Amino acid sequence: MSAPSLASYIVKRPWLNRWMMPLAQWYTDAAGYRRLGLRADDLIPEESETVQTALKRLPPKEAYDRVFRIRRAFQCSVSHTLLPAAEQTKASEDVEYLSPIIREIEKEKQERVDLDALVVKR
Amino acid sequence: MMLSRSTFSRNAPRALQKQCSAAGASSRRGMASAATPGLQYDVTESAGVKLAHREVAGPTGTLALVAKAGPRYQPFPGFSDALEQFAFKSTLKRSALRINREVELLGGEVSSTHSRENVVLKAKFLSNDLPYFTELLAEVASQTKFAAHELNEVILKTLKYKQQAFAANPEAVALDAAHAVAFHRGLGETITPSTTVSFEKYLSSEALAEYAQQAFAKSNIALVGSGPNSAEVSKWVGDFFKGVSSTGSSIKNTASKYYGGEQRISSKAGNAVVIAFPGSGAFGTPAYKPEASVLAALLGGKSTIKWTPGFSLLAQATQGFSQVRASTQNLAYSDAGLFTITVSGKADQISSVGKNAVDLLKKVAAGEVSGEEIKKAAALAKFRALESAQSLETGLEATGSALINGSKPYQIGEVAQSIDAVTEAQVKDVAKSFLSGKASVATVGDLFQLPYSEDLGLTV
Repeated sequence: MSAPSLASYIVKRPWLNRWMMPLAQWYTDAAGYRRLGLRADDLIPEESETVQTALKRLPPKEAYDRVFRIRRAFQCSVSHTLLPAAEQTKASEDVEYLSPIIREIEKEKQERVDLDALVVKR
Repeated sequence: MMLSRSTFSRNAPRALQKQCSAAGASSRRGMASAATPGLQYDVTESAGVKLAHREVAGPTGTLALVAKAGPRYQPFPGFSDALEQFAFKSTLKRSALRINREVELLGGEVSSTHSRENVVLKAKFLSNDLPYFTELLAEVASQTKFAAHELNEVILKTLKYKQQAFAANPEAVALDAAHAVAFHRGLGETITPSTTVSFEKYLSSEALAEYAQQAFAKSNIALVGSGPNSAEVSKWVGDFFKGVSSTGSSIKNTASKYYGGEQRISSKAGNAVVIAFPGSGAFGTPAYKPEASVLAALLGGKSTIKWTPGFSLLAQATQGFSQVRASTQNLAYSDAGLFTITVSGKADQISSVGKNAVDLLKKVAAGEVSGEEIKKAAALAKFRALESAQSLETGLEATGSALINGSKPYQIGEVAQSIDAVTEAQVKDVAKSFLSGKASVATVGDLFQLPYSEDLGLTV
């Protein structure tokens, strides 16, 4: 799930962050998924065990909304249209809802690996 | 063969003499005295938590947390089961996996169980690891996360298996149904919700977290330990249990009332009939009637010796029925008890054995049982009471339960005395009161063949 990214490097430096933010916002907007009413987390590839587990752990309302957004976007894609401006995802709505759960599951898996590789010194 | 018989004939009169001598157990062996440490619990309070500890020399120790949170006190069905399963799952400090691995590394054993009244978290460990396990118990009691995904992925799945195991045991189902007709709510709540109960609609991780906060509040729990170092136990408990919340008044507690009645459940798992009467409560409570436990030993059904049916009346009466198992028990709770006769096995034999059992009870009530038998039963009842107090499994919970409910914890000498004081007339009276009052009868299995309580000769 985690491609190498400069994000944390940039966020740690306020001056760089201030400088990069407009650029980032322009880039995300230009990616176009918001005009289909999607959120960034809807684009995470589902074909992995971790994401499948995370999807199962979504609260029912979130899971329903996710399916709704994806089907709406699919319809838009099939009919080669964009959503009306009012229904497009706003930057304020484009928040993480799946990534925190994915990170938690990855942490659990990492913990298991670490504990399995544990060397006990008495 | 000859030899053994002659030894027996030499010793039998002596055994009988000893048994019938007026001196009670306490005077004969001085069980509660300082000479035999390890049977008496020292009761203290540490950081507002009631703590009973039994000093036992040895390399291992045990610490159990008894919480008044069994099905009797649960707000919705299934909560006690879920609470029990949530023990030693992820806490705010560490994950379930980590707890598991740490316990494995230290070489201990943690488990959780629940009875009708209590949820018990138990840890057994090498006595050097006492601080670790005390901290673990405190952490489980106060900082369990109750994550929604653990409930859905782990707890509900194991609960399903528990339900199936329960449904496959006709004796347990019948006993549960007998409790339900005897006490309705409270003690009558099912110990594990049956497969047809829709408990999922009540069960959510948030509701469970709220229940746990009340259930594991300081006023609602007691710690019972046994091991070599009692001073250290109270020190560590004082240290680690500071953070446990101290408000727990909102757990509902209604006094038990006996109703009685009949319930019939059809099942393919097997056949069982439970005939129940209001029995004796736990020792130290107003409902304590030692004569009920003597009557339970007298009716019996299960032999305590191999290869013989034993002296008990029910065992003698069922000798001809090879495919039926009968047993009599007095189940003691904190403010009531249930005296149960359980008959299970083949359906056609159950009705005749059940009838026999009721006839035997009538015989006891009419005083047609010899004093000799009653003395034997009293000895067995005394043994059972003392043995259950002494053994760790039953003793821990009984002591913890007594501490939470504010009654006296098991006093071995007094228990022995109270059972010794039971007279034949008392046993007769208690049998009479059973027959004059309403019985609770639960029948599970092939209802076409199994008898109604009328057929057994009981009034419900």
